Parts: sequence; structure tokens; C-alpha cells
Amino acid sequence: MKILRCIALSAALALLPGIALAQGKTAPKDAKLYFITPHDGQKVRSGFWVRFGLRNMGVTHAGDDYQNAGHHHLLVDVNDPIDPKEPIAQDKSHLHFGAGQTETFLELPPGTHTLQLVLGDAKHYPFEPPIVSEKITVRVRQPASSR
Amino acid sequence: MGEIRNFRSGNHDEPPPHGSMPRRLAAIIVGDIASYSRLMQADEEGTHVRVKRIERDLIQPSIVEHHGALVKTTGDGFIAIFDSPVEAVRCSIVIQQNLIGRNASLPKDSRIEYRIGVNLGDVIVEPDDIYGDGVNIATRIEGIAEPGQVYISGAIYEQIKHKIVCGYESLGDRKVKNITDPVRVYRVLPDSDAVGRTRGRRENTLIFLLGIMLLVMASNVLWYLLAPPGKVGKQAAVPTAPPVASPSPQPPQREAAKQAPQPSPSPALSSPSPVPAPTQAPRQAATPLREPEMIAIRGGSFAMGSNDDPTERPVHQVTVKPFSIGKYPVTVQEWNECAAAKACGFTATGKDDAPISNVSWTDAQQYVVYLAQATKKPYRLPSEAEWEYAARGGTQTRYWWGDKLQPGMAGCKDCGDLAAEQPAKVGSFKPNPFGLHDMGGGVDQWVEDCWRRTYQGAAGDGSAWTGGDCTSHVLRSGSWKNDSRYVRPSNRDGYDTNVRYPTHGFRVALSP
Repeated sequence: MKILRCIALSAALALLPGIALAQGKTAPKDAKLYFITPHDGQKVRSGFWVRFGLRNMGVTHAGDDYQNAGHHHLLVDVNDPIDPKEPIAQDKSHLHFGAGQTETFLELPPGTHTLQLVLGDAKHYPFEPPIVSEKITVRVRQPASSR
Repeated sequence: MGEIRNFRSGNHDEPPPHGSMPRRLAAIIVGDIASYSRLMQADEEGTHVRVKRIERDLIQPSIVEHHGALVKTTGDGFIAIFDSPVEAVRCSIVIQQNLIGRNASLPKDSRIEYRIGVNLGDVIVEPDDIYGDGVNIATRIEGIAEPGQVYISGAIYEQIKHKIVCGYESLGDRKVKNITDPVRVYRVLPDSDAVGRTRGRRENTLIFLLGIMLLVMASNVLWYLLAPPGKVGKQAAVPTAPPVASPSPQPPQREAAKQAPQPSPSPALSSPSPVPAPTQAPRQAATPLREPEMIAIRGGSFAMGSNDDPTERPVHQVTVKPFSIGKYPVTVQEWNECAAAKACGFTATGKDDAPISNVSWTDAQQYVVYLAQATKKPYRLPSEAEWEYAARGGTQTRYWWGDKLQPGMAGCKDCGDLAAEQPAKVGSFKPNPFGLHDMGGGVDQWVEDCWRRTYQGAAGDGSAWTGGDCTSHVLRSGSWKNDSRYVRPSNRDGYDTNVRYPTHGFRVALSP
């Protein structure tokens, strides 16, 4: 078994010298990550649901190493490019959904914000090539009144 | 959730509408002591006291911790209900695993072992009891469970199979007494449970072998003392430090523990037989040899939170009781002792003195449970309030050292030192006024509390917030990958309870 794996690995290394060191797992070409809601340019009240759509791949828990499956990450107001050799960052603008969530209730201060989804593999690395959604813009309105 | 809380108070405030039976869907745990009669026959009072103690120290707190409610205790058992099947099964596993620890040092015939059955069913809830098919089935499932095991019904299994990572062995459809339809039953196989047993056996062997070794050594010493009487004085004057005292030079013993069948001669050769208290040594061998270094923190009052981030509001006054907290985050070496004992989920790679990372909150819990069992001390994760109190070190500034960034104080992306690929080894940066290292930067640190978005309604007593939907827990400290905003002692974030991430670690706390 080990030998077979070694052979496979060395074959892969020989064939793909360019990306041999990249962590990313390959994803199907037709995989598509997108926002179900909100849509680009939508005006929302703070405290709104964001729903994640994924086609031709599956959503699973972080840590589950299945082929063609990953978990969602929501990037809020992130301008840095995605580094495929690093795990997707974990901070207040990189929200993780490692339990396999496909939606979240997001509270943002009033103003314009960008949202983008990135699919991560079992170890939170982006796929190769990265499976990312379009970067959308939402405008969060001033709260109308106190709740 | 609310319903469960009201349950114990008997629903006084909200009487059931129009006298209808208060029914609800619940996960029901039924636990019962195996061979209770035999235990009672052997030692009535002793058994009674021990059972009550187990109920008080283990069963009740575990149920509360998992958001359940104890319905009643019977002479030899208990019934509890939970909103969540996942929590019910987790609670059962926790109880069983803790009992293994408690039983480890006892002879087989005086062990108190529970059978536990879990079922999901619609039940009628009354202030001090519950009724219904669901309860009866749970009781029957418990009846066929083996001592020390958790058996669950098919209904529970369907709910939890993808949520709790452990093995399930199908026992097929079982016909149970007075229930028409057969019930599908599964046995829960938490890894650490099975391993715990073998560990117990291994430890026993080890203790036995060490005992023999000590006997041999003692007789050697005796012989030595008797034969050349001239050297006796010297021997006594240079007592070698008992292996318990210092935490650092002890890995060899741990290794000895791992290869129990062939006890390595190293302890015998290297330590010239500690003459006093030969009975003490075998017990020590069973405990972990590397306890995290702890710093005692005097209790006090402080303003928790800040106005820098919505999650840190409102700033509120909190009083913290005295406690101890790890001087450093738990290290790879400390973690790997737990892994070697098969009580932690994986063996970490990395330098011994690096902080352990890539652990989930659940992993961190496994470590503290292991440490508490092995040392017989109530190790736990710190509460969020304790963490912040300790991190501030008596200060109210933006960072513990002041309001401005300074190099050498914390490990983070822009803290003034070279950004590193790896977290620096623990203690690479200056300690705060309480003598604690890496309270901010380095690795993110799990605390006991469930995550909530703000401090709205927070308690002021420094206890951990464990209510609510607890699918994520609180992280403190920020990591070497975050920027300096995350190093602030008041910074907080939440993350999925069961998910590992490369920058997440923890430190331990201890109640006095």
C-alpha cells in the first residue's frame, strides 16, 4: 500500500512539478461557489442571512478528507489575495464554517461591505485552483429603530 | 432550552395550558449500577456513600454541563432528559469515562459500574418524574447494556451518527420486554473508553512490575546497609531528589511507562534507590510526570471587556475567585503524554517546547480530563473571565504592558518581531505582571465558555458561560498569524467546538 502510494506520489510529482509543493487538493472544473442570498449590490438591514451555494461539490466538516468536498469560509471586507499555500486565515474577517454550515446570520456596521466565499479543504487550505465565489458588495442600512 | 430549565422548578411560573399533559420530545438517559445488590450486601453503608458521591461529583455536574436535567435518582440509578441527543450521548460517554478513572485503582469486585441506555422519545413531563414509552425503552436498553457501556436506540443513532466522532456497533433489532416493536440498538464505542480499559490493565502491570523492582532494590539496599556499615552515613546524607519534585527531568520514566512489559532498567540504575517511602513510587509512576507549570492567581475584581470591538461590549465588572493558571500554553510534549496514554486524539509533531496547536475545544477538554484523572486534581480550562483577568495582570490598558505596541512582548504578525512560520516556543516573550507568558499572541487559546456575540447579560462572578447553543466556544489571545488588535487581553472570538485549526491551542486552569 505504502509503495503504491509512493509510486503514485512520485508520478504526480513528475507530472506536475509546478504545483508539487502546493497544499491544495484539486477540485472538479465545473465546481461553482456562489451566494444564494444576498445578491450583488443588495441593500440589507444589519442582521441578515447569508446563504452559501455550492454546485458539483459537497459540503462536509473540516477535518473530513473526502474527495470533492470542503467547507465554507466567508470573507468580509478582505482585500488581500488568497494564498493557496496557506490555510485560510482565521480572524474576524475570515469566518469559518467548519461544522458544515451553509448559512450564517451576519451583523455588520452600516456602510458598504464586500463578501466573498472560499471553499477550504479538510485542513482549511484553498483548493487548487481556488474555489471562490464572486466578490459581492452589500450596503447595510442604518438601523431603523431600536429593537 | 428554556423548557428544560423550568422543568426542575416544576413549571410554577407557566402552568400547562388548560390542564393538558406537558409532553415533549426528549433524549432520555437511564443509568443503573451493575450488581448493585452484591455491592450493597458486601458493604451497605460504604456503597451508599460512594454512590451518592458519584452522583454528586460526577453525574449531576455532567448532566448540567451538557444542558440536561436530572429527573430523579433511584437507589442504584438515575434518569435524565436532554433537548439534544448529541449532548445526551456525550454526557453518557463523559460519565462512563470518568467512572473508568475512578474505578481504575479499585479491585474488580468493589467497582461501581453503570450501564447506560439512551433513547429518544415523546414523554410526559411531571415535576419529579417522566413517563412514557420512550422512558420504558430507555430502561430496557439500559438493561441489556454491559457494565461500563453506553447503548443507544436507533432513533438516537440517526440523530448523532454524523455528529459525534466515535464508533457505533449495531446490535441489530432487539425485542424488549413489554414493548411490541423490536428496538434497534447500537453500542457506542468511544475510542478512549476502550483504550482506557487497556490502559488500566497496562498501568496495573506497570505498578506490579515497579513494585517488584522496588522490592528488589529495597532488599539490595538492606543488604548493602548491613554488609559494609561504613558507607551508611554517606548514603543517607545524599538523598536523591524524589522523582516527583521537579517536572523537567522526567521523560525517561514516561518512556518506561510506555514499554511496561519490559521495564527498562534505567530508573533502577540512574537513581540510587530512594530509601524513604518505597510504597509511594509505584503510585507516582501511574500519574503523568509532566504537569503544566501553574501560577496561583489571587482573586479580584476588574472591568472586563472594552469598547474596541462590538463583541467586547458592554464593559462590565467581574469578580474572580482565586485560581491557578498555566504559566505557558500546554506544550507539544505535555500533549503527547496524553496522546501516549491514548487519552488524547492524536500525537503532535513539532518541537517539545512549542505550544500544542491544531486542537479543537473538544481536544482541549480531553486533555484536561486526562490531566485531572491522572493527577487527581481538578484541572480544567479557564473561564473566559479568568483568562482575561489573568491576561490583564492587574492592568486596564490596551495591552498588559501599556497602550503602545512594543517588541518582545507578544508574538503576532505585526508585533515588532519577525513574522514566523511557526509559533515560537512557549515563554519566548516577556511575562505579564502575574508572571504568565503568551497571554496574547502565540497560539489562540480555548476557554471553557460557549461563544456568544456580546457580554449582554453576562454574569459578574467569573464563572464560565455554558448556557445556550454551544456549538462554538470562545478563543482568546490571538495567534502569531493575527495582527496586533488580536493581542489585546480583551479580544475574543468564537470558533466551532469540534473543528481543529492550526493556530488554536489552550492552557489549563486549576481551582484551589
